[in-house]
Amino acid sequence: MTGREAGSAGVSRRSVLATAAAAVGAVSGCAKRTRNVMARDPASQVSLRILTVPVDANPYPARIAQALAANLRACGVDAGVEPTGPEALYRRVLLDHDFDLYVGQFPRTDWRDPDHLYALAHSVYAGEPGWQNPFGYTNLQLDDALETQRTTSGAERKTAVAAVQERLAESQPFTTLAVPDALSAVRTDRFGNWRGSPMDPLTLLGLSPTGEATTLRLGTTDGRITGNRNPITAEFRTRGTFVDLLYDSLGRRVDGVLRPWLAADWRISERDGQLQALLSLREDLTWHDGEPLTADDVAFTYEFLADTSLGAAESPIPASRYRGRTSLVADVSVVDETTVRVAFADSSPVVAERAFTVPLLPEHVWAEQTETARVAGVETNRTMTEALAWNNPQPVGSGPLQFERAVPSESLRLSRFDDHFLRDDPEDLPERLTGAPAYEELRLSAVGSDDAAVELVAAGDADATVAPVGAAVVPRIGRESALDLVSRPSRAFYHLGFNTRTAPLSNTRFRRIVARLFARSRIVESVFDGYAQPAETPLVGTGWEVPERTLDDVGPGDTFVGEGGELDTEAARAAFVEAGYRYDDGDLLSE
Amino acid sequence: MTLLPVLSKVVAVDLVVVTVSALVLVGPERLRETAAELPDRLRDVAVPLVVLAVVLLVNSLIREPVTEVAWLVGVNVTPIIYGIEGDFVAWFQSLGTPAVTTLFSYAYVYGYVYVLVFPLVAYAALEDSRALRELTVAYSVNYALGLVCYVLVVAYGPRNLLGETVESLLYTQHPEFQFLTSRVNSNTNVFPSLHTSLSATVIGVAYDTRETYPWWLAVATVVGLSIIGATMYLGIHWATDVVAGLVLAAIAVTIGRRYANRQ
Repeated sequence: MTGREAGSAGVSRRSVLATAAAAVGAVSGCAKRTRNVMARDPASQVSLRILTVPVDANPYPARIAQALAANLRACGVDAGVEPTGPEALYRRVLLDHDFDLYVGQFPRTDWRDPDHLYALAHSVYAGEPGWQNPFGYTNLQLDDALETQRTTSGAERKTAVAAVQERLAESQPFTTLAVPDALSAVRTDRFGNWRGSPMDPLTLLGLSPTGEATTLRLGTTDGRITGNRNPITAEFRTRGTFVDLLYDSLGRRVDGVLRPWLAADWRISERDGQLQALLSLREDLTWHDGEPLTADDVAFTYEFLADTSLGAAESPIPASRYRGRTSLVADVSVVDETTVRVAFADSSPVVAERAFTVPLLPEHVWAEQTETARVAGVETNRTMTEALAWNNPQPVGSGPLQFERAVPSESLRLSRFDDHFLRDDPEDLPERLTGAPAYEELRLSAVGSDDAAVELVAAGDADATVAPVGAAVVPRIGRESALDLVSRPSRAFYHLGFNTRTAPLSNTRFRRIVARLFARSRIVESVFDGYAQPAETPLVGTGWEVPERTLDDVGPGDTFVGEGGELDTEAARAAFVEAGYRYDDGDLLSE
Repeated sequence: MTLLPVLSKVVAVDLVVVTVSALVLVGPERLRETAAELPDRLRDVAVPLVVLAVVLLVNSLIREPVTEVAWLVGVNVTPIIYGIEGDFVAWFQSLGTPAVTTLFSYAYVYGYVYVLVFPLVAYAALEDSRALRELTVAYSVNYALGLVCYVLVVAYGPRNLLGETVESLLYTQHPEFQFLTSRVNSNTNVFPSLHTSLSATVIGVAYDTRETYPWWLAVATVVGLSIIGATMYLGIHWATDVVAGLVLAAIAVTIGRRYANRQ
């Protein structure tokens, strides 16, 4: 606030001076000098908006953003926090790239392999919508390291992954803050066997009723699935729990290991220097609408995700999700009704297998959505297809649960898909999943906040919360004897994202100073109440992380400008000056 | 399912309070007369009543789309509001005690329904239909102009921006109330505060009828001011929303008066 006031005062003084100078110049005839002064645009104060979701959606990011904004203001930046609904926020950050900074979470992903950083940070995705380099960051060295880790293995890959982390730490296209614990309130009187986080679709599938319960009831603060069930649009999905129950993939990670799911098995081999897989589907697979699921659908899915216009548009229009994984596939050819041959792009077998975790889409449904998007019959956006605009109200997947009905912003109802292969008791999957799910129906209620979600479970109207709740409701969960707190480390790391497309955030030095305006450990302690681990690299805790001192050597690291959580304003301003920035009347000036 | 218990409780409590108020403030005799003459009196106010019904219906039908449209065309003024008033709401909340929280929570939910419903009953009991016409027109103006603001302005309340210093007191203490409030409003519709504007409207019209119902003016003022205080104390609205709500109330009452006196 003070920054803004000082800013407007500064501007008005400058304009008064300029007017006075013009008058003097005109009178004395020094027109040339006047022009020298007037022709230069006066530098204006740096103004930054930090986007976050509102507290109702997630209690953490707004507090982190407020702490940062206060420190930025102390440095003479006109900074403010703009709470924005999840859908609108993702639209601005991921699709329109219309933002300065945001504090958010990386979506749940196939995180066990560091290759998920490929799509997040590679330069070729800088112009693409989705969770593909939303920072618009380009760095050839980083690209190089990202490509190397894709194609190598063993120690060589380890070195490349370390290089990726060092380049990220050095250049800070985003600043990693913390990896949180995903917290849920769960009641165990109706369903048991809560092995993992309730946000994990396989946890939900493996639940066993303790009595006669036939309906699993869940509560969420993220109601987007009640209005939009499109699996390929980034702005509507975060964890994708329900999309993953509706849509199956060829493989799934079961207990940490990627295993054939819709596929009966696959064999990866190298032929003529190219990696490829021969993959056969399980027998008698069908879609929820009764149509057979065949090798054609598999080939269609990979072609369609890479270009939702199927070649009709001048340049491909890819889905805004799964880009990293679909980029691993060069070609899919149909061998027979249940067999496909997958030719991979340049990659190692471990990385290539990640491609099998994307959801399969039925050709007979999605092939009709390849036209460019129209509003009221008028073509409005030639770089967007109907597939990306579609709310997919009646999703047809092949997952263990099928869609029944939904009331937007209120509820969603799914029922068991009895033609699913799990119902035939497959022998190659763990016992808890054979015949799963052990309930007939799943009901999801959308509520307004963490408190309301926990209240739902406490009142016996839900069995679990399926969007992470904040640490503030933990005491409440502890007080209610019927409720259990389930806490699982999440890989959905919190970070500060920069839009590096425009000044001053395009300047690496500027971003590195901003990264030092966080008292990272302190923020994690106070905001997350200990339910998170401070992190300087997104790979912390995966076994791939490089030691923090290495990151501290190359980047700003965890070196807060100040002590005990208090910003050292003098030192922070000095850092900006040292990086080539100037001050006027206490305002930090843009270049 | 989750909505029903809290909804029935609010309806039951307010039914009792409105009935008691009617017996005390309006009087059994006047109520009996009203019952006999009600059809005639309603005919007098048919037009503004129908208008109000339409406004409320449209409001409930387009509430969801309005929120969607607001994200497309509206301006997010949350940081601007915070820049103007700073930590006023946090300071206000810091003065509170658990008892104050309970009082304000009940004012916000039960009190609000009461101040909106009771004057409709009280003014229907008057032979002169002017007050009822003034009130219904003023209500319509509030909802209609409020809706326009909600299209043009996107704003979250302090509880949604300032997680550190402002607690979402109503919902942490009474989470069940959120099942109710989230059905009638979106959390982006805070500017202006309709709780404020409608409460102030009721006080304004109560002032106009002070000679008939002097005690109602007192009751409406106390309950209305509590509601206005509650909107801020509970972290739901900014002081800026309240000021805007007062401006909206002034416009609504002015239009209501003009309409009532013209006829």
